[in-house]
Amino acid sequence: MNTAFPFPLAGRPVPFSPGRLGIVAGNTFLEAVRQKLFNFLLLLAVALVASAQLFREFNFGSSELKFISDFGFGAMVFFGSTLTIAATAQLFFSEIENRTALTILAKPIWRTEFIFGKFLGVFAVVGVFCALTTLLLLALLYQRETALMNANPEAFEHGRIIHYGDLVLMGVLQWLKFGVLAAITLLIASFSNTNLYTVVMGFFVLVICHLQYLARDAYGQVASLPLRLLVRMLGYVFPNFQVFNLADQIGIGEGIDPGIFLRVAGYALIYIAVIGGLAVYSFRNREI
Amino acid sequence: MTHPNPASAIEITGLTKDFSLNLRGIKLRAVENLTLNIPEGQVFGLLGPNGSGKSTTIKIILGLLEPTVGECKVFGVPSGRVDSRLNVGYLPEAPYFYRYLSGTELVRFYGRICGVPRKQLDDRVREVIDWVGLSAAAHRRVGTYSKGMLQRIGLAQALVHDPRLIILDEPTAGVDPVGSAEISELIQKLKAQGKTVLITSHLLAQIEDICDRVAILDRGKLILEGAVDDLVGLRDRQSLIVDSLPPAELDELRGWLAARGHVLNAVEQPRTRLDQLFLSKVSRPKKEGDSR
Amino acid sequence: MKFNLSALRPLWTGLLVVTVLAVTGAAIRPFEDPAWQFVRAKQPALKLDSLQGALGQGVTVGLLGGFRAIVADFFWIKTNSVWEDNDLPATQTFIKLVTAIDPRPLYFWQNGARMIAYDMPNWRIVKEGGYDAVPQARQRHIDEEQSEVALKYLREAFGHHPNSALLHIEIANVYLNRLKDNVSAAEAYRKAAALPSAPYYAARIYAELLRRQGRHQEAYAWLKQLYPTLPQVADPAKGITEFQVQSAMAPVVLDRIREVEAELKVPENKRFRP
Repeated sequence: MNTAFPFPLAGRPVPFSPGRLGIVAGNTFLEAVRQKLFNFLLLLAVALVASAQLFREFNFGSSELKFISDFGFGAMVFFGSTLTIAATAQLFFSEIENRTALTILAKPIWRTEFIFGKFLGVFAVVGVFCALTTLLLLALLYQRETALMNANPEAFEHGRIIHYGDLVLMGVLQWLKFGVLAAITLLIASFSNTNLYTVVMGFFVLVICHLQYLARDAYGQVASLPLRLLVRMLGYVFPNFQVFNLADQIGIGEGIDPGIFLRVAGYALIYIAVIGGLAVYSFRNREI
Repeated sequence: MTHPNPASAIEITGLTKDFSLNLRGIKLRAVENLTLNIPEGQVFGLLGPNGSGKSTTIKIILGLLEPTVGECKVFGVPSGRVDSRLNVGYLPEAPYFYRYLSGTELVRFYGRICGVPRKQLDDRVREVIDWVGLSAAAHRRVGTYSKGMLQRIGLAQALVHDPRLIILDEPTAGVDPVGSAEISELIQKLKAQGKTVLITSHLLAQIEDICDRVAILDRGKLILEGAVDDLVGLRDRQSLIVDSLPPAELDELRGWLAARGHVLNAVEQPRTRLDQLFLSKVSRPKKEGDSR
Repeated sequence: MKFNLSALRPLWTGLLVVTVLAVTGAAIRPFEDPAWQFVRAKQPALKLDSLQGALGQGVTVGLLGGFRAIVADFFWIKTNSVWEDNDLPATQTFIKLVTAIDPRPLYFWQNGARMIAYDMPNWRIVKEGGYDAVPQARQRHIDEEQSEVALKYLREAFGHHPNSALLHIEIANVYLNRLKDNVSAAEAYRKAAALPSAPYYAARIYAELLRRQGRHQEAYAWLKQLYPTLPQVADPAKGITEFQVQSAMAPVVLDRIREVEAELKVPENKRFRP
């Protein structure tokens, strides 16, 4: 073993490297993929198709499409949130518990690269999940809509009623929301000691983020000043996850305004950057 | 960056590390006022019972922990800095790697993290895997490896970027004598290449055979440090090993020695060491064929 | 002293995290607000106090957490299962619960009203002994009672769908089919036909109902004014589809005009010329 390496000696600055970040992200993605993730996705797909078949029993007419889209997106939101929290916590703590974090952080790598690499790996996993479920949902809806159009043309007087483009935008928004959720979970993981604690806290924060608007609404109605400040604080500390439900009646009814879509996407990206930064700060102080 | 002492791979000065146990300030002192200088090109043993502060010291050297007081430099660079790890390879205790990667993928991954140039990466990965004797198992998933194989793939990842300093934390813990002997051989080879090796172990016999210098820690404090020969060699004694002598000839020898002012201190039956006996009797598997 | 400080580090980190998040939340608020108003505008207020009795804690959190559509869907499926059992009180409760949870889908209002107006009288009559046993007057009374409930329910729907022609049509059908009230039915069809989202048949049925009441002059005027507005050829450039042309039924409307002209004995030279 005599290969001579023109290696930089200790003391040469090591700049932040997107390449290394990408390597960590790729490895994280690979780990998730080689675990049981795809079984999970397959299961979800089967459940979706099965539930879509179920609605046929009820003879809802063209409203069947609303049911398929509601349940499809409901499943995506529910399973996606679960997947995001569980995968982030699992992929982080497997590094700590298996002491692979020791091996990797003993290399010339910044902890920022490690944390954002982990984030991007999870984000990619969740992205695949969102893409697959959205595509499956689109295919199901398209197939059912075509069948219903042939069976009952009066209900489709103005052509197709599903806005397929909006469905894709909604899929993207859910993905971005899961990105914020992954960053939050990573932040919790960066200072917590166990996987379980991280998962429980992750769900807890998820619920708060979904309900934070209530604190905002209640602000004017709270009489006592300290409580009012606390309520206002809650409204500021937690991101508002409701804002991602741009179309509650998904894909049916009014379309999504592109300006608003971009605004919400920007909102998610800003939060990912800020919360990711906090996770890095907290992780840098962590004793491995 | 200049090297204040180019002959030092690691310089630890007045190092203390406390772990806080709770918010009231109750602490656990893992390392206390440790000063240690590890010269380049030597095999250095860091010894001590469990909980003596060996692993903490290693983590500080690797920048995984921050010293509470004092400083630690690796090739002249403070160990908290990322660039201090450019020339360091590390094999953790009982390594457990990404199970879903094959041996080659694993070493490749670490090679890329360390910045091994892409053009050389494949050759280099093949080379180190061959060097640790895992070529035949290189495409198997790490999850199927035996403990000894995990140690060897761990060594391969530690060496992939051709570091000048290699830190091995309990490299033979849980490995059978055959695997253990092989790792010792690899360490000797590294030394022959001019690498600095820092090794921790509580298997003293093994350390004694391969280390140039040792330091002994107890409850976080350095209690002894020096060259192995100086520490364990009895300079005023020598042993001669001869064929079995009848009692009459033994008496004659004793007389001969007495006439010259020497004393025959002990007459013993020399024994082979058990590990050597074991190694000579047990078939040493071909490295490539190692499997569970 | 040093280790005391380091022991406080988790607290310090926690405080920093909360502070940075609060500052971010405050700074990003103006950027977020337009999007939030947009989302808010699409979500009618939840009248939780009217629901809480019927829902468990978990469902309430689900509703507040943005899963209204899917919770309403669940209850709609439940409505269908009690409907299949002809369980009147349960069906009525669930119908109202579904639209209280999510009043946006028109489908819930339409189908809920149909269950109330058309199915429930059946159930009640069957329960009281069947169509042969229950006197006509009693049957009529039951029809009126159920129609009243349905009409009240449909009028409530206008609060959420003020411009829905289909709701007017639903009301018209209750008057027409259950109460045999041509006058009120005609009025509802006229309101439906005046809305831009009205189907073509609304205007035609209005004219028919006028004729049934003997108001031939009004029907004639209505039809003459209607005819020129109907598409006669598909024109993709103007967004007129073949389906629209077919459902507009301009030739049928012209036939009706001729019929009314015959009834009114309009002289040949004064007849409508398309």
